[in-house]
Parts: sequence; structure tokens; C-alpha cells
Amino acid sequence: MKLAYYPGCTVRDKAVHLDETTKASARELGIDLQELENWTCCGATYPLTEEKIANLVPQIRILRNVREGGNSQVTTTCAFCYSTLKRANRAIAVDDLRRQRVNAFLRDDDPVRPYKEQTQAPADYEGEVAVLHLLEVFRDGFGWDRLAKATKKPLNGLKVAPYYGCKLLRPPKEVAFDDPENPTIFEQFLAALGCEVIDFPFKSECCGSYLALSAPESASRLSHLILTSAVKSGAEVLALSCPLCYYNMDLRQRDISKSYPGFQHVPVMFFTQLLALALGLDEKVLGLDLHYVDVRPLLRQKNLLQ
Amino acid sequence: MKRIGVFVCHCGHNIAGVVDVKRLAAELAKHPGVAFATDYIYMCSEPGQALVREKIKELNLDGVVVAACSPTLHELTFRTAGRMAGLNPYQVEIANIREQCSWVHTDGAQATAKALKIARSTIEKVRYNQSLEPVMVPITQRALVIGGGIAGIQAALDIADAGYEVVLVEREPSIGGHMIQLSETFPTLDCSQCILTPKMVAVAQHPNIRLLTYSEVEDISGYIGNFKVKIRRKAAYVDWDVCTGCGVCVEKCPKKVPSEFERFLGMRKAIYTPFPQAVPNKPVIDRVNCTYFLKGTCKACEKFCEVKAIRWEQEDQYLEESVGAVVVATGYDTYPIANLGEYVGGKIMDVIDGLAFERLLSASGPTAGQIRRPSDGTVPKEVVFVQCAGSRDPELHKAYCSKICCMYTTKHAMLYKHAVPDGQPYVFYIDMRTNGKGYEEFYQRAIDEDGVIFLRGKVAKIFQDGDKVMVWGADTLTGRKVEIAADMVVLATAIVPSAGTEELVKRIKIGCSDGGFLLEAHPKLRPVESMTAGFFLAGCAQAPKDIPEAVAQASGAASKVIGVFSQEAMAHEPTIAFVDEDLCSGCHMCIPVCPYEAREFDKEKGIAIVKEALCEGCGACVAACPSGATQQRNLTDAQIEEMITVSLME
Repeated sequence: MKLAYYPGCTVRDKAVHLDETTKASARELGIDLQELENWTCCGATYPLTEEKIANLVPQIRILRNVREGGNSQVTTTCAFCYSTLKRANRAIAVDDLRRQRVNAFLRDDDPVRPYKEQTQAPADYEGEVAVLHLLEVFRDGFGWDRLAKATKKPLNGLKVAPYYGCKLLRPPKEVAFDDPENPTIFEQFLAALGCEVIDFPFKSECCGSYLALSAPESASRLSHLILTSAVKSGAEVLALSCPLCYYNMDLRQRDISKSYPGFQHVPVMFFTQLLALALGLDEKVLGLDLHYVDVRPLLRQKNLLQ
Repeated sequence: MKRIGVFVCHCGHNIAGVVDVKRLAAELAKHPGVAFATDYIYMCSEPGQALVREKIKELNLDGVVVAACSPTLHELTFRTAGRMAGLNPYQVEIANIREQCSWVHTDGAQATAKALKIARSTIEKVRYNQSLEPVMVPITQRALVIGGGIAGIQAALDIADAGYEVVLVEREPSIGGHMIQLSETFPTLDCSQCILTPKMVAVAQHPNIRLLTYSEVEDISGYIGNFKVKIRRKAAYVDWDVCTGCGVCVEKCPKKVPSEFERFLGMRKAIYTPFPQAVPNKPVIDRVNCTYFLKGTCKACEKFCEVKAIRWEQEDQYLEESVGAVVVATGYDTYPIANLGEYVGGKIMDVIDGLAFERLLSASGPTAGQIRRPSDGTVPKEVVFVQCAGSRDPELHKAYCSKICCMYTTKHAMLYKHAVPDGQPYVFYIDMRTNGKGYEEFYQRAIDEDGVIFLRGKVAKIFQDGDKVMVWGADTLTGRKVEIAADMVVLATAIVPSAGTEELVKRIKIGCSDGGFLLEAHPKLRPVESMTAGFFLAGCAQAPKDIPEAVAQASGAASKVIGVFSQEAMAHEPTIAFVDEDLCSGCHMCIPVCPYEAREFDKEKGIAIVKEALCEGCGACVAACPSGATQQRNLTDAQIEEMITVSLME
């Protein structure tokens, strides 16, 4: 199984462990993730709020590069990158005028490579690449049964609450790969790894997102609500896929403790870290030293870590 | 040679302002076969019609062309005038020189030339017109009503009272529909059962009504006036002719299952009548849950039945009925809570729908009218009512307004307050739609006298927190987020067509509109007729509506049926397709192109025949026929050819 891999900016900075565990796990499972050459930032979601041309250029450039690299599918783990690429892809596919204009813009555009003689520009991009979240790849391409069989160290007894965040499945008509109000794909993933899945009412609530910068108290309030609800429902660890959610759930706990006395820290992990753990990969790959809230005591207590 | 009279109308300035009507009449008088041509200011006026009648008699005309407005306006007028003068009406034709000429052109000379062509081609048509008589279709003066809710009951009673027989088919064991589940009805708060049961009994006792409950319509074939209906009577495993309805079997049955009638808040037995006032008051055995059918032993009902009415070996029976018209009143269901993921899809016991709340309010319901929540039976002190749960939500659910929820939710909140005086009802709404007689006053009363708190906004999230049901919403009037720790939540779920409507529509071939509701022939002017002749619509199957509206529509549908039955036979336009039997090769080309199923293969003759009562004269089969065997009366290929030829002449 071969597909293009778009890492996204954040995984090279705040969420290195998401990237590392994704690549290592894919290698272990025999999935040929081909990292895109010369990838750029996806542009994040803000620019998509306006219907213009230039703000579709980065995503379409990325998707065109996927095609030019010989792939028809691209996967990513970051909820924001996924959303941005998928929505841009759809915008191009449904809107003739925007498609023509973005492609016109891209015809003599090559920002990464140094200037060279004009070569033949690639053919227009018309939305032909499929944008997939890595969870989708496991569900539709790889299969839960196969994933369960590949698990060398099932995470039995680990009580994990899947946290989708607000972005992964919304807006539904444009990006959802599962029921946005009552999703189950994350649960199925965790079940395949052997976890005890904990359902809780706030699995699709917003983490506070960019309010982390402009109104950190609001972000703290939301994170606190989500984390305490998960714990109240019986979770020992929160699993997620989005680097921004991760930031608001893990590092934010420092602020939460200040605002909410008595708050007990909750470990937070990327879904790919749990995957790598279940596949029995080396501890060094997991990046467990990068967490604000140390997850290692819990994993040792559960005999999942030496 | 025919003797054709041509009458050119000025229509005041409408035609004469553009077309030179005098010249037109003069030119047409010279056309071969035209015995007489004249013009007049208003041909449709009584003097104008008198002129037509006089000239027919005086000059012994055998064809008439009136060059005037569209035939939809006055074709009938002039055909009647022709008939009064002794001429076959189908020898009178309209040449439309107003809508298709004077109204759309400004150049007088060109318009006159065009009017001349239109009139000449019509003259050529009349030259070869045959004298026709309407096709008379005999009518079976007997109606089928599908669905025994309030709409079906009303329609059946109205038709039966007018003296015609009615077959009323209901798939549940009893008639009554959803209305019989309701507690009290807005805005007068009269008891639903009290006003409906007399009508149910009237149906059962009416000499003109044949009531078939626990039965389904399998198929309807034929056409208006002459339908054949196939009905399946589901096996009740009880001989209803023998059963006295004493109820001992129900009492003795040891198997309890959640009751559909009680919206699963109460229990029923495996042999049951849905509710004590059922009509007919005869039980059925639920085969899926009956211990005898599951395990082969029990038969408690049989042991205690004094009249020996239990029939274990009973099978579904198929009946055939002949009817002349059909009223479709198949009603509604509520949109399943399971589809409302944002409200946790029915996983919280104390989140129920409006119909379930009706059962809690009902004196004959599972709690005898006491408001007790399903999870632990306590009296809920704070109840949140959520409107538009699935309605007005094009993104995720139904785009339309379910129409009755504003009023019944107001009623729910009011009745809850009456039952639990120290409780607090909250209603979340998008807009309050109280457009009915006494409805706005009712809503105001709920606010002023009963202290119901109405919050304008949508509920975003509902979740369980301990023994509370947390409700997150917005109050858009104050711009604030609202959080209510409620004891119970009632969702006003969207109204959807009842289960099986889609298949029924396909089986009986009537149209469907958005949302799966039955399609009326015209949204304003023909609201109780379907697109297919002979099928009439009533109640929520056509669109969400309240009781008075459903009753009004049912009476409207009934009067349409009575109108059909008021004649022994129906006149059908004779300008339809016919087949030259010598030319038809039986190739079947015409059969699939006919939108009215009027073409049929006659095996004996080996040709495709026309079912005259069904043919609407659309011409599709005429165009499809490769051999020219199918022609349309008074619009044959030969006539069309002449019409084109004369139009192309300079």
C-alpha cells in the first residue's frame, strides 16, 4: 500500500512525536508513506474563510505535487492540514471559475526550487487527488482486523478516551469521513489496538483552538471541561490527532492547574503514539519525554512500558 | 368539400391593435373550403356566439375555425356554441392569434401574415376533422380509503354518509392513528380520545363502510372509476368473527413486551389490542414475541378463550376489491431520535419525543397521567422542550417546518405545569409559529398564566451528567449561552411520512414531493388531488398539519370522491390515440413511452391496443410508432402534413 504523506508544519515543531510515530508505525505495518518533496505550509484554516483565489494556492500546489509525484492519495495526521487540503480540493472540484484562476496562478509558479529555465508547466489540477486522514487509511485501506493482528503488544486495560476535537469531521458535507455528531472511527481504531474505549460527552467539542493565543482563559475553560469530563467518565488517557488540540490539552494543563485548584493532570497522547506502542516499537521513537504531563508512570503501571 | 366558417375576433384592441383583422377575414374567405369568413369585436360575447350559431345554421357549415385567444380559455365556449347549432363540437377549432401572435409581436404587417398562417393551418386541420363522441367510462361508485387515522376516518365517514360504499384499510390492529395517542389537543385542551372514539365507533357501525384493519394495500391497478385493489389481511391468529372481545386472552397471556402504542414507555402482551378503546376491539397475536410461536408451548390464550377463537394455523389472506376512487391518508411518523446524533441519538432514557410525552400526559397512559420520567420514575422538576429537533435543518436533517410542533410543545409545557405545579418548563424555539384560530392566544396564556419560559435559540448539545440531563443552548435574545440541568428533555422531532409511504407511492404510482410527502396536483388550486386521476390526498401524508386542517382536507378529498361518484359514467376526451390494426406489427415501441400506462399488448390480436380511459392524448406513442399505425384522433399525420404545407405557402 503506497500513498503520499503530507506532514504539516506543526509536526516539525510542537508535535515531532506525532510525525515520528506516524512514519515508524507505517514502516512497521508495511504502508509506504512517501513524504512529499518540497512541501509548504497548508495555509491553515483562516484563509479558507474568504472565497478568493490566492488563499487556495498553497493547498492546490501541494495536491498538484502529490499528483506529479505519481500518487493519487495523500494522507495527513493533523486535523487542520486535513481540513484545509480537503476543503480546498473540494472548492476546486466544484467551482469552475476558481479552478481556472488558481491553475492560471500556478502555471508559472514554483516557489521552492531556485529559479531555472521555464519548463513545461504541469497540467491543470482539477481535484483528482484523494485527501485522506490517517484514521481513514486504517479503516478503508488497511482494515481494523489487519491492524488488530499486527498489534504485538495490545494495550489491554488502558482506558482511553478518543478526542476528535471540533475540526476533524466538520463542516460535515465537506470533510466528514464519519458521522460528525456521533462518530465511531476513533473508537474502532483504539479497539483494534486493544484499548478499553471510554465514551464521554465532549469528544467533539472545541479545545479552544487559536484562543490559546488571544484568550487563553477561554481555552483553559474548554480544555478543563473536556479533560475532567473524560476522567469522570473513567478515562486514564486522552487520545487525539490534532497538534493544536494536543497543545491545548497537554501544555495548557499548567494554566488549568492555576485557574482550577485541585485539578489533577491527565496524560494526553497522539493516536499514532498509542499505535507505535501497540506495535511494540522502540520507546525512543515514541517521544514520551516531550509531554508536559508525563504519561510514562501510567504506562509503566499498566506494564506497557519498561 | 367541407363548408368551413371562419370567425376572426378583435378581442378589443388585444388582437385588432396589431393584426389587421379585416384583411385577415377577407383573405381567409378566399381559402379553399371556406364558405364564410367574418370578424367581430368580441366573439366570445353573447352576440358573437349568436353570430357563430346563426351562420352555422344559415350556411349549413360543417366546420368552424375561431381565430381568437388560447383554446384553454374559450375552446369549450365555441364548441358548446357549435353543438347548440347542431354541429359536432369536435368540428370546432381555435386558431390562437392572441397569445401566440398579437401579444408577442409589434409589427402589424408581419403579425397579420403570421395570423393568416395560423388560421390557414387550423382550417386545414378542421377540413379533415372527424365528428367524435366523448369516451364514456363507467364508474364503480365505491371508494377505498388507505389509512385509519383522523383523516382517513373523516374521509370514510363523509363518503359513506353521502350514500356510497367505502373500504377502509388500516395496517394497525385498530383505527385511530396518532390522534388516539394524544392526551389533550391544542388550543382548546379537549381530550383527544373523547372526541375521536365516537367517530371510530361510527366507522365500525356504518352500514356503508367495510373496515379492514390489520390489513395492507398490496397493489392497485386500473384507472379512475375502475380500480382493482389487492389487499392483504395479516394473520391475527384470532378468528374475529367468533371473538367477543372479552379480553381474557390478553389478561392470561404471560408474555410482556414494550408497547408501540405507549411509545415503549409501557408494556403490552403478546396477544393484544393496542389500547382499551380499540376499534375493532379484537386482539391479534404478535407472532414474533408469542411464546407458543417461539417455543412451541404455552397456548394460555387458547385455554382460556371461551368461544375458541384462537387460530394458530391462520395465514395472511388476500382480498380483491373494486373501487372507483382512492383516498390516500397514510399519515406520519416522527423522525427517529436515533438520527439526532447531536442529542445523543436516543441513548439517554430521559430524552423522549413529543408522542412519548403525550402518553405520559394521557390519563390512560403508562403512568395514568402522572408525569414520571422513564429512567427512575421520579417526577421531573425541570423539563426542557426542544423544538425543531430535525426540522428546519437542511444541513443535517429535514429542511422543512413540521408545522405543529410550536403548538403542541406549548401545550406540553402547559399541561406539564398543570400536572407538576412546582416544576419549571423551558421551551427552546427558533420562531414561534402560532398561525391558527386561537393559537396565539394559547401561546400567550402559556407565558402569562403558566409561567413557561420560552428561550429563542437552538439547543446545541444534550448530555447525561449523573442523574441530570444537561442541556446547552443559546438564548439569542440576550445573546447568552444557557445551561440547564434538566430532569427530562422532550424533543419535538420532525414529522415525516409514515413508514412504507415510499413503497406505497411506487406501487400505486402517485407523485411524491420533497421530504417524501405525497404530491398534490396543484399546491394552491388542487390541494386534495394527486397527479394521478382518481387518487385523492388527506392528512399528514401530504404535508405536516394539525387536526382541524387534516379533517378539512379529508372532507375536501371526500367531496371530490363524491363528485366523481355523482355520475354513472365519466366523459373522457376522445382526441386520443387510436391504432390501425392492419398496420400495427406489435413491436411494443409504444408501450414503454406511454406515461399513463394506456398502451397494452393484446396477445390475441398480436397488436398494441389503446386503453381509451387512460389515454390523455399526449402523442408520445404516435411519435414512437415506427409504422404510423398509431395516430391521434383529429391530429393525424395527414392533418399535420396539410397544416405544415399550408403554413409554408407564401
